[in-house]
Amino acid sequence: MQSALAMQPAESPVNVLIVGVGGQGVIMVSKVLATLCQRQGYQVKQSEVHGMAKRGGSVFSHVRFGETVYSPTIPLGEADVLVALEWAEGLRWLSYLKPESGIFIADTQQIVPPFACRDRKHGAGSGYARESVADVIAQVANCYAINAGQIAHELGNTKAGNTLLLGMMSTTLDFPADDWREAIRMFAPPKAIDINMQAFDRGRDWVETHNPADFDPGQGIEMPIPVEEVAHEVEFELPVINRAWCKRCDICVKFCPERCLSLDEQQIAVLHAPEMCTLCRICERLCPDFAIELKYRN
Amino acid sequence: MNEAGKQFNIRDYLREYLFPHFLCPGCGHGIALRALLWAIDELDIDKDRLAFVSGIGCSGRLGAYIDANTFHVTHGRPLAFATGLKLARPDLEVIVITGDGDCLAIGGNHLIHACRRNLNITCMMLNNEVYGMTGGQVSPTTSSERYTTTTPYGNHEPVFDACALAEAAGAGMVGREITLQTPGLKDVLRQGLAHEGFSFIEVMSDCTEVFGRKNDLGSSAEMVLTQKASVRPDFLEDAVDQPFRPHQIKTGVLAKNDRPEYAESWRRHIEAMKRERGHA
Repeated sequence: MQSALAMQPAESPVNVLIVGVGGQGVIMVSKVLATLCQRQGYQVKQSEVHGMAKRGGSVFSHVRFGETVYSPTIPLGEADVLVALEWAEGLRWLSYLKPESGIFIADTQQIVPPFACRDRKHGAGSGYARESVADVIAQVANCYAINAGQIAHELGNTKAGNTLLLGMMSTTLDFPADDWREAIRMFAPPKAIDINMQAFDRGRDWVETHNPADFDPGQGIEMPIPVEEVAHEVEFELPVINRAWCKRCDICVKFCPERCLSLDEQQIAVLHAPEMCTLCRICERLCPDFAIELKYRN
Repeated sequence: MNEAGKQFNIRDYLREYLFPHFLCPGCGHGIALRALLWAIDELDIDKDRLAFVSGIGCSGRLGAYIDANTFHVTHGRPLAFATGLKLARPDLEVIVITGDGDCLAIGGNHLIHACRRNLNITCMMLNNEVYGMTGGQVSPTTSSERYTTTTPYGNHEPVFDACALAEAAGAGMVGREITLQTPGLKDVLRQGLAHEGFSFIEVMSDCTEVFGRKNDLGSSAEMVLTQKASVRPDFLEDAVDQPFRPHQIKTGVLAKNDRPEYAESWRRHIEAMKRERGHA
């Protein structure tokens, strides 16, 4: 792989952006990198957003190193290396990568955020990023996509996926491999050092034996199905309200999760937004007057 | 969809010509009736084998709306009638629908003896904390400090825990659930129906028009949400206590034992004695 460091003019710093989801080890990767760079005699500045681990939120860390570094954050389109520990997070930060020479190293594992599951209709598709690995490879000059989480799981600990990506990243910078290993030893938990070393070597080997754009679809990701293409398995018809039986108690209106029921001018329940209804049957079950019915479709 | 692959349609079990029913708007009894019929449908019990016995009160009227064999009997005595019915016709699935006043005050004695005998009867007690039909008098389950027509200064009597009573008296299965958790209520009722022995299920219902109005408890939606906040489902039993939850009313299946079912063992005993004495 071409070395990012070698490409740099001496006066401007090397920019490495590490992104992922809380709990994956973004900060650990950036600490290893920053410590290593410091030991190699560079000035290092690091900036991060953390604390999202418990919520599975977006976590990123900027690492800049060089002869002199002024700002701790990487400007848009200036990152030499973008390491993504999660696929959609990588896509989110892709605009920070240098357009021609940036190197994108991504784990293809998907951690689907709750926000992508907003449509509660039965059989509804996911709102997760739809770009396939091939789409991204076509747009980014140097893209390495690997299912690091799966490989680390096979090694014995899914958490070592970040070290595997660190191994891949280590090939882009001109530092001796042993110095990398020493830096990892400083931050990896004592009982996980062996697995981390194996993961690091696997990452390095993978890059040395693969070319960018040499992506094996077999170890890739299953892409989410777009919402509009899902055939909805609808078992029921829309709720039908028997006006003669409704006693205007308002329970269905209060408990409808999609707020698609309301009371009309006679205070009788009506389905005012049938397109919002997810056929969850809560109104049918909670109607004390048996006035709401969802018929089976067949 | 039940075990036989039949789709559940509540109208198969209702006497539609009696609808709309007489219950007040927002009364939880209707939800409890749905859950009971849902459980029966899941077990796929033949309607001719069903016998509903109900007493007096709002709960007692529910039996009338079910399209099966129904008995509407005197106040407090549905368990006594059901005992006779089950002993005479062991082939029937006897279900008692009763209220808190009907079951614990007027029929309190029948309840403890039904639990003691452990006949294969399912008793669904609808607890709305008040005598709703007769004008809102205090009942054995009215919470303390609640206003009713007979307690204008607030109820000062201690409250009956019906489930603890039934368990102590030896009921085969004891359960409790709120109406808001309709599928959970259905599951508890289904277990009760399937249990060989006396199953006592307390349904925490809400009386919006009489009890709720007198005590300013808000609409029925607010009342059921208050109930939801006051219960502790069985799957949370080992969970850490939450602050700001003064009531920890347990729900789910609370007790189960496998004491012998009375009608069956009684029959065997009689036949053995007859043979012994040469009467048969």
